[in-house]
Amino acid sequence: MAAIAPIIEIRNGTKMFGSFTALADINLSINQGEILTLLGPSGCGKTTLMRLIAGFENLTSGTIQIGGVDIANIPPERRPVNMVFQRYALFPHLDVFENVAFGLKVKGMPKEERTERVNRMLHIVQLESFANRYIDQLSGGQCQRVALARALVNGPKVLLLDEPLAALDLKIRQHMLAEMKRIHIETGATFVYVTHDQDEALILSDRVVLMEKGRVVQVDRPTEMYAKPKSLFAAKFLGETNIFETTITAVNGIGTTARTSSGIQFHSSETLTKKPSEKIAVSIRPESLTFQHKNPDAQSAECVVDDIVFMGSRSFYTVRLNDQSKVRVQVQRDGRLSVPSPGDKATIFWDASNVVMLPRD
Amino acid sequence: MNLSRTKIGAILAAPTVVYMVIFFVVPSLILFSYSFWSSESYRVVPDFVFTNYLDSLHSAVFWKVTINAVRIGLTTAAISLVLAVPVGYYLVYVSRSQTMLYLILITWFSSYLVRIYAWRTLLGTNGVLNAVLLQLGIVDHPVDAFLFSSFAVTITLVHIYLPFCILLVTSSLSEIKPDLIDAARDLGTSSLGAFFRVIAPNAANGLAGAFMLTFILVAGDYVTPQMLGGSSGQTTGLLIADQFRKTGNWPLGAAQAFVMFVISIALYFILVSLGRATGLIVKRRTINPKGI
Repeated sequence: MAAIAPIIEIRNGTKMFGSFTALADINLSINQGEILTLLGPSGCGKTTLMRLIAGFENLTSGTIQIGGVDIANIPPERRPVNMVFQRYALFPHLDVFENVAFGLKVKGMPKEERTERVNRMLHIVQLESFANRYIDQLSGGQCQRVALARALVNGPKVLLLDEPLAALDLKIRQHMLAEMKRIHIETGATFVYVTHDQDEALILSDRVVLMEKGRVVQVDRPTEMYAKPKSLFAAKFLGETNIFETTITAVNGIGTTARTSSGIQFHSSETLTKKPSEKIAVSIRPESLTFQHKNPDAQSAECVVDDIVFMGSRSFYTVRLNDQSKVRVQVQRDGRLSVPSPGDKATIFWDASNVVMLPRD
Repeated sequence: MNLSRTKIGAILAAPTVVYMVIFFVVPSLILFSYSFWSSESYRVVPDFVFTNYLDSLHSAVFWKVTINAVRIGLTTAAISLVLAVPVGYYLVYVSRSQTMLYLILITWFSSYLVRIYAWRTLLGTNGVLNAVLLQLGIVDHPVDAFLFSSFAVTITLVHIYLPFCILLVTSSLSEIKPDLIDAARDLGTSSLGAFFRVIAPNAANGLAGAFMLTFILVAGDYVTPQMLGGSSGQTTGLLIADQFRKTGNWPLGAAQAFVMFVISIALYFILVSLGRATGLIVKRRTINPKGI
C-alpha cells in the first residue's frame, strides 16, 4: 500500500435531502494511491458520498478536504477529481478519441500534447484501434474502457467510479476487474469505487468502507472485514454466513461461551465485555464448518444432511440441526475423504478461532 | 393466428397509410396536376402548360409576399427557438415537471382567433399598450405603429407557436441523459459550456427540426399576418388562398403552393447543410447506445 497521507478527508459529513438523512456524520480518510470501496446496499448513501466528492451535491454540514483544501465552494469542473459514471455517460456525438480528449480540450491543452496523452491513455486501456469509432459502435466493455480513459487522461488526484461494472455481464465484469487493477497500478491514481457487489469490493479494494442507512458501519481491509466483522450487518453483507441466536453462559480469561436455546454451545477465544445471560449472535462462515474431526479442541453439533449443491471444486451442504435450524457447510472437494449423503446423520465441527460473536442488531 | 412481425406491423400501419393516401397523397397529386392546367374565365381547363409556374416566378407580387412569408417565418421560428431552448432545458434537466409543460400547452386550449383579437386589443390605437404609455407620459399621442406592423405580426406569431416549439425542443432534449451534463462538468466545463459542448450538438437535429416545423407552420399562416400586419402582413398563403377563393384561378394557386413547398424544402436543406458545414449539426448518432 502507498503512502499514508490522506488525499481526501471527510469530517462530520452530513447530507440531508429535505427531511431525509442521506448521510449522517461521516468521518473518513482516503489514502493516497489506494483503492477504497464504498460498499453497501442500495440507498445506503454510497453514491451520494461519491457525488459529494465530485461536487454534484453539497454537504448540509461538515467538511470535505481534497489535498488539504476545503472544496465546499469549488464547483465540479474545478475539482481535482474525475468520475466514471454508472452508465458511462459517454458523448454520443464524439468518437472514442474525442471523448477521451474532451477534458484536455476544455482545459485548452495544445493539440500536439493532447494527442500524445490521449494516445498514451488509449494504449493503456487497449483501445488504440478503436480511436475513430463512435460510442454506438462499441461493446459494453469497450464503453467501460473509454469511460475510464476519459476520466484518467486528466490525471485526477482521485478517480471516482460509480458502480462501473453494473451494466456489464458477469464474464466481462471479471475481466474488467483485473483490468481495473492493472490500470490502477499503471496510473498510480487513488480510486474510490462505489459498488453494492461484495465480490467486486473483496477482489479490488485495499480498504472497504461498509455503509448502511447513511452511516459508515466499518472501515477495514477486505480480509479483516471478512474474518472479523464488527456487526451482524457486516457479517451478513460480506460473504455468506450462518447466524445463531445465543445467550452468553460464561465470560472469563480464556474466552466467551454462549449457548443456543437448544443447547448447542459455542466458544470463542475472545473475551467480550458482555455478561452471562446477555443475548449475542454467533456467526460462523460455511467454509469454517467441516464434517472432519481434525482438531481435538473442535466444537461440534449433530445434524442431518438435507441437500447438496455441487459446484465443482467445492460443494454446499445444507444440514439441519436438532432444533430444525438450517446451516450451510462448504466442503472443498477431496477424493480421499468420505462425505455424508443427503439423509445421513452427521456431525459438524468448528474451531474457536472461527466463532465470531456479534451484538444483536 | 400466427402472424409474422412484418405482417402485424403492416396491419397496424394500414389504417393510417390508407387514410394518408386517400386524403393527402391523392389530393396533393390532383393539386399537382392542376398546377399544369390552365384557367379560362373562372373555369379550370385540363392542359399541360408551365405558364402557372412561369407567371408565379416572374411575378413581383408573388416574390414580395413569398419573401415576406419566409422572413416572418424565419424571424418567428428563430425567436421561438431561442426562447424555447432555456424553457426546454429547465423542464427536462432542472424541474423535471410535467405539470409545467401542461401549463405551457394549456394556452393552446384557447381559440386561435381569440388570441389574435387579444393582441389587437393590446396593440391597437386605443389598446392597452397605448393607454399605459399615455398614462405614464412616455408618448403624447397613441402610437399607430404597434398594430399593422411586422412587430405585431411577429409578437403574435411567437405567442401562438412558442408552446409548439417548446414541446418539440423538450422532446428532443429529453432524449439526452442528464448525466452527460454531469460528465461534461466533471471534465471541466461550466454548466453553460456543458450545454454548448454536449447538449446542443446532441440535440442539434431535434432543434433544427423544431425550427423547421415552426417555420413551416408560421410561413403558411396567413390569418395572423393579415389581421395584425395589414399591408405588411401579405404572405404567400394569403395570395394562394385568394387564387382559390376569389379569382378562381386554381391552377395558378396550385403552382404557387408547390413553389412554396419547394422553397420550404430548399430552406431545410440549406439550414442542415449550413449546420453540417459549421459543425453545429453532427451526423445523427444513437443517443442511447444499446439502451444502457
